[in-house]
Amino acid sequence: MTDRIFLWLAQAFYAASCAVTLRRLRAGDGGMRLQRANYGVMAAGFALHTVFLYLRGHADGRCPLTNLFETQAFVAWAAVLFFLLIGPSYRVSFLGAFTAPLVLIICLAALMSPVDVVAATPLVHSAWIDFHAPIAIVACGAFALAFVTAAMYLVQERQLKTRRLTSSFLLLPSIEQLDVIHFRLLIMGFAMLTAGMVGGIVSYRIVGHWTTPKIIWASSVWVLYGTLVLARGFWTLRGRKVAVASMTSFVLMIVGFWGVNLLRP
Amino acid sequence: MNLIVIGLNHRSAPVEVRERLAFAKSNLGEAHGSLLAAAPLRESAILSTCNRVEVYALADNVTEAVPAVRRFLHEHHKLADSVDPYLYEHRDEGCVQHLFEVACGLDSMVLGETEILGQVKDAYSTAQEVGATGVVLNRLFQKAFSAAKHIRSTTAITRGSTSVGTVAVDLAEKIFGKLGKCTVMVIGTGEISAATARALRSRGAGTILVCSRTHERAEALAAELQGCAISYEQWASEFSAVDIVISSTAAPHPIVTKDKLVPLLRTRRPRPLFLIDIAVPRDIERACGELDSVYLYDIDDLQLIARENMAARERESVACQTLVAQHVQRFVNWLQNNHAALEERYRNRATNATLSSPAHTPAS
Repeated sequence: MTDRIFLWLAQAFYAASCAVTLRRLRAGDGGMRLQRANYGVMAAGFALHTVFLYLRGHADGRCPLTNLFETQAFVAWAAVLFFLLIGPSYRVSFLGAFTAPLVLIICLAALMSPVDVVAATPLVHSAWIDFHAPIAIVACGAFALAFVTAAMYLVQERQLKTRRLTSSFLLLPSIEQLDVIHFRLLIMGFAMLTAGMVGGIVSYRIVGHWTTPKIIWASSVWVLYGTLVLARGFWTLRGRKVAVASMTSFVLMIVGFWGVNLLRP
Repeated sequence: MNLIVIGLNHRSAPVEVRERLAFAKSNLGEAHGSLLAAAPLRESAILSTCNRVEVYALADNVTEAVPAVRRFLHEHHKLADSVDPYLYEHRDEGCVQHLFEVACGLDSMVLGETEILGQVKDAYSTAQEVGATGVVLNRLFQKAFSAAKHIRSTTAITRGSTSVGTVAVDLAEKIFGKLGKCTVMVIGTGEISAATARALRSRGAGTILVCSRTHERAEALAAELQGCAISYEQWASEFSAVDIVISSTAAPHPIVTKDKLVPLLRTRRPRPLFLIDIAVPRDIERACGELDSVYLYDIDDLQLIARENMAARERESVACQTLVAQHVQRFVNWLQNNHAALEERYRNRATNATLSSPAHTPAS
C-alpha cells in the first residue's frame, strides 16, 4: 500500500526531532531557536502523518482503525496532536524531546510488524461505531502524552532528589508544572475514553456482537485510568507515585491492546 | 589612526585602586569633555563599573594620546601616587578583542555574567549622547553588542548559576515553577541565608517569614525583604503554609529532624517542600531528604553545583574565544578596508573644525 510511504516519511521527521533534542542538550538553555525548530519539524511530521491517515481512511471508506497497524498509527497521531496543542499553550519546554521518541517507537513497531492486514470479518457501519472508536483512540493519545509528561516528571524529580543535575535540568520544566499538566491530560483522556465507552455500549446494542476480550480490555483501561484520576484528584496518590502509575497504566494498555488483537482469530 | 584601550580591572588592580579611579555615573558626561580636552583623541568612550575602569579611544597619534590618557586618569581623580603599574593597554586588534571579550562577560570576575553587557551599553550611550563617539567607536560598540548576543545564544557560557543564592533560586524554580505563590521561611539571619532570601524575593517569591533567636535581627531582615518577622518558637506552627525553608542557625544540633518533620508534613497541603540548609553544623537532618516530595540541599550541595556550573562555563569559554576571534577579524577587516575613507573624513572635519572652534566636533 503506497500510503505507508507517508507514514515512513513522517518517521523521518520524528527522527529528525530526536536529533534536534540531542543538539539542544549540548546547547543547554541557549537553545531557544532549536525549540522552535523542533516544533516545526514535529508539525511537518504531523502533516505527513495526517496525509497517511487521510489516504488510508479514503481507501478503507471509514475511519482508519480497521487493524492493529492503523490503530497504532492513529494513537501516535493523537499523541502528536496533543503535543502540538499543549506544548505552546502551556509553554512546556522540552516536551517534544520526550514525545518524538515515543511516537517513533509506536509507529516503527506498527510499520515493522506484519499487522497491516485487511480485517477478516466484514466491518459493520454505524454512526456510533464511527464515533466511539476514534474518540477512544484520541483518549489513548492523551494518555500517551500523559506518559510523556510523567517520564519528564520522573527525570526532573530524580535529578532534584539525588542532587545530580545533568544538562537536561535547565531544559525541563518544574515538577509542579509537569504534575499539573499530567493531571489535566489524565482528566482529558479519561473524559474522552468515557465518551468512547458510552458510544461503544450503544453500538453494541445496535451491532449485537463484540469480541469479549476487547470489552474486557476497554473496561479494564477505563477502570485503571478512572482509579488513577480519582486517586490523584483526592491526593491519595501524589508526587512520583502518580507518574509511575500513569506510565505503568499506559504500558499495560498498549500491551493489552496488542494481546487482544493478536489473540483474536 | 589607532584604536586604544587603557584601563584596569579586578585582575590588574585591587579594589582600593579601582575605587579611586571609578567615574561617578552622574558626571560621566563631564568627564568625557575633560578627557577630549586633555588628550588628542578623535573618539572616546569611558566604561566604569565596580570591577573595571577603561577608556576606549580612536587616536591619530598614539605616542601622544596614550600618555595623555594616563595623565588624564591621574589628574581627573586627583591621585597622589601613580596608578601606572595597574593599567593595561591594548591597541587595534587587541583593543577590539578586549572590548568584545568584556561585552561577552569573558573578562568578568564571574565568567559569562550578563550584567556587564548592560553596563557597556550604558557607557556607550553616555559617550554617544555627549558626542564623544564617532563612526569607528559607534561601529565597534555595535559589533561588540552583536558579538555578545551571538555568543550568548549559541554557547552555554551563561548557563547555570554560580553563587549559592542563585543556585538555590534555580532549584526552587525547577520545583515550583513560578515562585509567586511560594511562602519562604528564613530561620536564622546569616549572610548567605539573607542573600538567598533576597535572590528568591527578586525572582518573585510570595510571602517571606523571618525568625531568629534575636528578634531584632529577624525584624530588620523582614523589613528589608518586605516580609514578616515571627518569633523563633513559632516556626513549627507556621510550617503548614511554608514551601521553602532557608535555615542557618548557630544551633549545635539539627533543629529539623525527620521525626519532627513527618507530623508537620501532614498539616501541609500536598505540595513539594524545599529545604535549604546553610548552617554548619547542619540544622536539618539529612534523612529529611528521603521523605516523599521533600528536597533537601545543604551548603556543600549548593556550592558543588555552583562550582560545577563555573567549571562548565570555563570549558565553554574556549568555544567562545573562537567565536570572538571571528567577530574581531570581521571588524578589523572593515577597519582596514575603510581606512583611507575614514582618514579623509577626519581630515575634512579637522579642517572645518579649525575654522569654528578648537573643541572636539561630535561625529555622526
